[in-house]
Amino acid sequence: MIIFDHVSKTYPGGVEAVRDLSLEVVEGETLVLLGTSGSGKTTTMKMVNRLIEPTSGHILVADTDIMEQDPIGLRRRIGYAIQHIGLFPHMTIAENIAVVPKLLQRSRAQVAERVDGLLTMVGLEPDEFRERYPVQLSGGQRQRIGVARALAADPPIVLMDEPFGALDPITREELQNEFLALESEIRKTIIFVTHDVFEAAKMGDRIALLDAGQLQQLATPADLVENPANEFVDQFLGQHRFQLSLLTRRVRSVMPAAEVRSEKPETGARLHATDTLVEALDAFKKTGAAVLPVHDRTGYLGDLTRRHLLAAITEVLGEAGGAP
Amino acid sequence: MNAVLSFFRKLGPEMLQRTYEHTFLVFFAMAIAVAIALPLGVYLARTRWRRVVSAVLGAAGVIQTVPSLALISFIVLLFALVALPTIGTLPALVALVLYALLPILRNTYTGIRQVDPAVIEVATGMGMKSHQILLSVELPLSLPVIMAGIRISTVWTIGIATLCGLIGAGGLGDLILKGLRSIRMDYLVAGTVPAALLAVTADWLLGRLERWLTPEGIRESHNSTEEGE
Repeated sequence: MIIFDHVSKTYPGGVEAVRDLSLEVVEGETLVLLGTSGSGKTTTMKMVNRLIEPTSGHILVADTDIMEQDPIGLRRRIGYAIQHIGLFPHMTIAENIAVVPKLLQRSRAQVAERVDGLLTMVGLEPDEFRERYPVQLSGGQRQRIGVARALAADPPIVLMDEPFGALDPITREELQNEFLALESEIRKTIIFVTHDVFEAAKMGDRIALLDAGQLQQLATPADLVENPANEFVDQFLGQHRFQLSLLTRRVRSVMPAAEVRSEKPETGARLHATDTLVEALDAFKKTGAAVLPVHDRTGYLGDLTRRHLLAAITEVLGEAGGAP
Repeated sequence: MNAVLSFFRKLGPEMLQRTYEHTFLVFFAMAIAVAIALPLGVYLARTRWRRVVSAVLGAAGVIQTVPSLALISFIVLLFALVALPTIGTLPALVALVLYALLPILRNTYTGIRQVDPAVIEVATGMGMKSHQILLSVELPLSLPVIMAGIRISTVWTIGIATLCGLIGAGGLGDLILKGLRSIRMDYLVAGTVPAALLAVTADWLLGRLERWLTPEGIRESHNSTEEGE
């Protein structure tokens, strides 16, 4: 969907923001660009919609070099959401969301319908929010609008620059969860920029870890945590390793060999094979059960005992090299 | 009571006539000044040629520092040299326009420059064209500042226009000059009071207009910054 082919960006003055970057963003995946400030992650993202133009190399979007595409048309086909400031303060919520559909000259009725649909989708009552202004919204609500606006013209690609930054941890987690649920329905190709490893592990199908403009490792969150490619990656994850393991390891990976029960309960609490160890631990805590059935898409898989889960977590702790 | 009545009977018609001339002069001077300074300010805010910016703003600043009476005299002199009429509305209008330019120019320039670059970048990233960004993002967001410039400029121009009586452009300056020459209190009152009222009214009206034109979404934040200053 998006291909970076030996892309470099040198700013006037000689700062090399991105150095010889090659990677491919697969259709439908969420690729997280992770790194500290100055790692080149934002520059990399902004090159996709030509807000920044590469000094050398090629970027292909939908099989065409972006430098051969009209930047205006390119940008209208790519959703764009950034941190808190992103909304236009002088426009109502409806007007903010409608910007790109209007630029694309969709009919008034179509735009109005889309605005209401998107507001509902991000969990805000259209009648209540349509006519409000960004100043009248809370930080979390504004971020929701930012996401809705990026999706307004139903673009196949969405760029998100720390869209959940500048929020309190609780609202932030709420929005992350909502977005994950939303994302599984709409299946967009997403480039997501963040400096937060936990957010990266949570949101990303794959993570591209960048440092000083160079790609350090491109891997799934679990792979990045389990098999760091080099010392930098290892150090970057550093003391978060233990928590990250719990967040990236799935129930499936710690399931004991077939322990199938004859009579399976039809109702009650259950775990899903793709739940993380943290989610599994939460489920045990909440239900107080000693054993929980595990399901996957095809059906009942087996049982997981609390004892077994704790043993697995202890093992992770050992691998992570000490206390969290 | 009788004194007031006889004052109006004697000077009322002339007062009205002069106020009308004054308003007319100021209105046209402002219309021309806005027509020049607004597009020029927009251009300055968006050009990459920093030198042009400092040159134009510098020049407008210099005009502003010249005392108004000196500027009017200079225009008359200049007009005499190129054989244009040296008395009447034309030289007065030119002087007033020159004087009115700077506040509008400077406020348009700063108004647009103070729009958050992040907002402009989002607009660009969403696929707005340059003129779309100007019309639907930059201008609405800088409108309060631009309007404040026009307001300041109008109030000044109302004041300076009284001097144009000196070069036969009419207006309330005429009455004031008559009063000064002959030390006649009634003429002075008939000239100064309407001039002051005119300035106060214009300031109030333009203030209302400014508020009315300010997009609702930035009204609150704009007020809070004003209070913070």
